[in-house]
Amino acid sequence: MSVSQGLKATHLDLQIDGKVILADINIELQPGKLLAVIGPNGAGKTSLLKMLSGQIKTQGQVSWRGHALNHLSQMQLAQQIAVVNQLNDHVFALNLQQIVRMGLLPYKTLLSQDSNDDIQRIDDAIARVGLADKHQQRFSSLSGGEQQRGLIARALVQQAALIILDEPVNHLDVFYQHQVLSLLRNLAHQTNITVVMSLHDLNLTANYCDEICLLDQGRVHAQGDAETVLKADILQQVFHLPNVVRRDEISNNLRVDFYPLQSSEEPHA
Amino acid sequence: MLKSRNYKWTLLILLALACPIISIFFGAADFSAAQLYQCVVNECDSAINQLIFWDIRLPRIVVGFLVGAGLAVAGSTLQNITRNGLADPYLFGVVAGAGLGASIATLFFDSQFTSSIGLDFLPEFSFSIALPLAALLGAIFAVTLVQALAATSFGGRGEQMLLAGVAVSFMLNAMAHFLLFLGEPFAANKVIFWLMGSLARVEDWYAWIMLPVVVGCVLLLLLYGRRLDALLLGDDNAKTLGVNVTRLRMLSLGICASLTACIVAYCGGIGFVGLMIPHIVRRWVGVTSRVVTLGCVLLGGSFMVLVDIIARSALPEQEIPIGIITAAIGSVFFLIVMRQQKV
Repeated sequence: MSVSQGLKATHLDLQIDGKVILADINIELQPGKLLAVIGPNGAGKTSLLKMLSGQIKTQGQVSWRGHALNHLSQMQLAQQIAVVNQLNDHVFALNLQQIVRMGLLPYKTLLSQDSNDDIQRIDDAIARVGLADKHQQRFSSLSGGEQQRGLIARALVQQAALIILDEPVNHLDVFYQHQVLSLLRNLAHQTNITVVMSLHDLNLTANYCDEICLLDQGRVHAQGDAETVLKADILQQVFHLPNVVRRDEISNNLRVDFYPLQSSEEPHA
Repeated sequence: MLKSRNYKWTLLILLALACPIISIFFGAADFSAAQLYQCVVNECDSAINQLIFWDIRLPRIVVGFLVGAGLAVAGSTLQNITRNGLADPYLFGVVAGAGLGASIATLFFDSQFTSSIGLDFLPEFSFSIALPLAALLGAIFAVTLVQALAATSFGGRGEQMLLAGVAVSFMLNAMAHFLLFLGEPFAANKVIFWLMGSLARVEDWYAWIMLPVVVGCVLLLLLYGRRLDALLLGDDNAKTLGVNVTRLRMLSLGICASLTACIVAYCGGIGFVGLMIPHIVRRWVGVTSRVVTLGCVLLGGSFMVLVDIIARSALPEQEIPIGIITAAIGSVFFLIVMRQQKV
């Protein structure tokens, strides 16, 4: 499959109040792949995700399936790209089904009603993420992992071929981290959905992602598969911590262990 | 689940039908059920009853219902777009803005003033038109001011918008009261009217102005219901679902301003209905925008008609301004909501 049918970002630049947030970012991602954007705090991960999802207009070009995002209307964008942000505050007690149903929005005019197919699509998406028994449950009463899966179900109802997630496993315990990332990997590899997400945990990144983009101070420091990016010297340069990268015997994935700084190496105020 | 929902809607509809019927029987003159029926089919047994039914009680009940429905819907819409359960046209400054506009129109159309500037040729009815329009301008001014303050000084978040609303509300109220104090020999009466609201001055043609405004606004909100639901997830999430957040917010604020203006212009400032009713509706029938809007129409209308019965009949030979009763009930409710904040 041609790369141009996937996600392509060329020469992305972003400055806010004269400060460089992102500089000369170039990314290519084939459909059905998982890309993790990693890097220290303040590296520009969230800004990059917003640019890739068309939420921030900027210099450079982002295209999806050969169409430049800045030529798409907000509705067309929503039909192509689903964005999953964490819902931090739950104002009114919406239930899971009501939130998932919002994925239909990009396809609905003011007068259109839900068809039987729509309702089936909502039910299928909720079942696909393993929450079939929680349709009517208040969204705020679901666990963090269930909420993330609920939002992924909304993205499925949105029928977007590209899902962008900002730190989808933040605040989740180990079990839910693996559950959510397994779900995303299965969606990508089984249904050809392309997934771009920011992650902090490098071992999870190595376990689940096909491509990695390592950002540092707004620039791409390294890019490629886990073998290419997760190298001890590269990680030392970006995270400023001694580390060891090895292959895990059981999972056969790369594993990164960071070691604490010696007291003599700690930065002084 | 569906059955229990249907039963709740049935109860709301029955309440909305029963309250106006009960209200017909309350007032200085006694009405029997037979006399009521005769008047409904336009065969009143006396000219007095004909007058009381068609020109006094029915308009008052219809206007009361529209006032309650309109304020509740305006409140629920403000709560939806600010994502704050404490938003309400009163706290948001919209009532004060409409009051200021209406106060200016009242002074401008004062006979002494109009003749002093050579405008005494203006027909009487022009005041009836100018009053709601001036209130609308005042309400839009208040909404714009709150938006601008919240966006520039406080970062545009829902809570900040509410704080800006409270400040704007106090400021515009002070301006309106000062204008009335300067320009009106009997300012105290007017101030009381704007502060507390009243259905005592309702005339039969009020309903013909309010009805299209309330029905039009409710229909618009029902049309945009799905998009308004997305706003509950926050602006960023709504945008990624294809919603033009800025336009929807402007439209919603315009709807709130129109509803509030046409109510305040004729019935003064009635507080807390827009806060209370949407909360009860959300707890009872659901939280999505279309459900809340319809629930607010039925429950808000019924509530106001009931409160009007109390206003008319609690004290012998005099009427309590309706806003005193809604404020008394609402303030207690406000405290309960603040304690819970879970709706």
